[in-house]
Amino acid sequence: MKRVFVYAAAAIALVVALAPVYWLVTISLKREIDQFAYPPQWIGFTATLEHYVEAFSGGSFATYFLNSVILAASSTVAALLIGVPAAYGLARFEWPGNWSANIGDWILSTRMLPPIVTIVPLFLMLRQVHLLNSLLGLALVYTAFNLPFVVWMMRSFFEEVPKEIEEAARLDGETRLGALLRIVLPLVRPGLAATAVFCLIVAWNEFLFALILTQTETAMTLPVGIASQVTQYEIRWGAMSAAGVVAMLPVLVFATAAQRYLVRGLSLGAVKG
Amino acid sequence: MPLELDRITKRFGAREVVCSVSLTAEDGEFVVLLGPSGCGKSTLLRMIAGLESPDQGVIRLAGADLTRREPRDRDIAMVFQNYALYPHMTIARNIGYPLKVRKRDPREISAEVNGVAARLGLTNLLQNRPRQLSGGERQRVALARAIIRRPKAFLMDEPLSNLDARLRVEMRAELKRLQHELRIVTLYVTHDQSEAMTLAHRIAVMRDGCIQQYDTPSNVYHRPANTFVAGFVGSPPMNLIEVPECPDATLGVRPEDVEISMIDQPGWTAARVYVTEEMGNETLVVLTAGAAQITARGPAASRLDFDTPVWYRFRPGKLHWFDKASGVRLPDHPPSKPADSRE
Repeated sequence: MKRVFVYAAAAIALVVALAPVYWLVTISLKREIDQFAYPPQWIGFTATLEHYVEAFSGGSFATYFLNSVILAASSTVAALLIGVPAAYGLARFEWPGNWSANIGDWILSTRMLPPIVTIVPLFLMLRQVHLLNSLLGLALVYTAFNLPFVVWMMRSFFEEVPKEIEEAARLDGETRLGALLRIVLPLVRPGLAATAVFCLIVAWNEFLFALILTQTETAMTLPVGIASQVTQYEIRWGAMSAAGVVAMLPVLVFATAAQRYLVRGLSLGAVKG
Repeated sequence: MPLELDRITKRFGAREVVCSVSLTAEDGEFVVLLGPSGCGKSTLLRMIAGLESPDQGVIRLAGADLTRREPRDRDIAMVFQNYALYPHMTIARNIGYPLKVRKRDPREISAEVNGVAARLGLTNLLQNRPRQLSGGERQRVALARAIIRRPKAFLMDEPLSNLDARLRVEMRAELKRLQHELRIVTLYVTHDQSEAMTLAHRIAVMRDGCIQQYDTPSNVYHRPANTFVAGFVGSPPMNLIEVPECPDATLGVRPEDVEISMIDQPGWTAARVYVTEEMGNETLVVLTAGAAQITARGPAASRLDFDTPVWYRFRPGKLHWFDKASGVRLPDHPPSKPADSRE
């Protein structure tokens, strides 16, 4: 009896979670005339791919998509390149006094700020260095935004590796860097994967910064591009939905591929953070 | 190649964990650093390995000054308490790693690995990963990784303490044999005095960062330098007794040098049995004599009930005298009037 309730609850949760997705997918496949038919056509409508063609043949959505890919990838790589060594340093080196803890807390404190607080200063700063409406400027912002997360997550992964393993490698003939690259990094690979996927997803979904800091088509990302389909004269539901479905796919692929690592990585961060 | 420590000092903050330790281990010698936890013996070992740097002092191996060298440039191998195997590599790659880092020819490495694995009985495990191995097997892999490149010195940090009791005794003998065959100077850290006694050519007993005594196991046992060594080495430890006739000295007697009799004899002292502990091959008898408790080691048959009245004496010529204030060993008879009225 108890099991029935559990399954029923799970089923309800699933329906609630997936209903908007289902709605999105169906709208993207419906002819314009069917999109708001009443009663709604849940199934059995005439499917069409015209919205996909419309969205991606015109060129702008393809540009947004490419921009999003470049941004997500470059900001993730940059955050890892800076954050992983920083995390290693915090996990392994003795800092005088309690600096070790303090530095970590200061790094984390930037995540406690609501992002919107930083928007105006960021806008002014980027304008000053002529990086508004540029992918580079946005990539810098995303990197800065993801960096604390990388440091904190990777620090707990590094701390999980017994330091004797590294010491053994150094006595076996490795330099400190060699031990890090050839012994420690392979051991924290699950952590690296989880951290990278998380950064990718955050950058991919990000809307607020992209909206304020880019206004030209050439620098727009997918979320902003989709939102811009709501214009003064019309709302292009079909194209928006088609683009939304396409935007969902990479995240789905990442998350599925890294599911195992994600659960472990995130819960670890929660416990040890 | 001799290993030489010259006035090594290490502080953590204001606390001095190793204070001016000097010690020389001769070529091929097996030296055990023995002491309770927190006495600085592991820190000393880590300084020799290059994992910590001493605040003062010089470390020399085969005449060369190592003090400021990187661990990799010291040609020293170390075995850790938790084995510190590389979890993501097979056993063969673990063992061969020191050679691989040195860019040796892969065929040569594989031949060396096979040789060492055969010596340590690991041949069938070479393709496994560390997590598939038992504690004893992991320990042997750690040893194999240490010996494969024939370093100038071995350091071992409580290598047997994670093994169960039976395996520990087995590995202890194996280790002694291996060191004898390789004849490489070895520094071995332990808090287990039986490991120290059985393995060492010489034992350095440490306490609070200082060496209390550095001598052969026999001398450490039979001529302890002070009351700390007397109480730390030997199981059960030496009886340390306050003697009213000698207010400035402490008397030390090993349990095997306490004789027990059921009848009163001239020169023997009356006592009562506090408890007896049968060990199988021997029996420990704890006596209450006045305010003092004295442990005696007797043959297996000596079964004495609680509170049995008995008489005891200390075997003549087997007494140790220590200065009461400093604990330092005194010449064999007490300086003031002899307290041997019982003998």
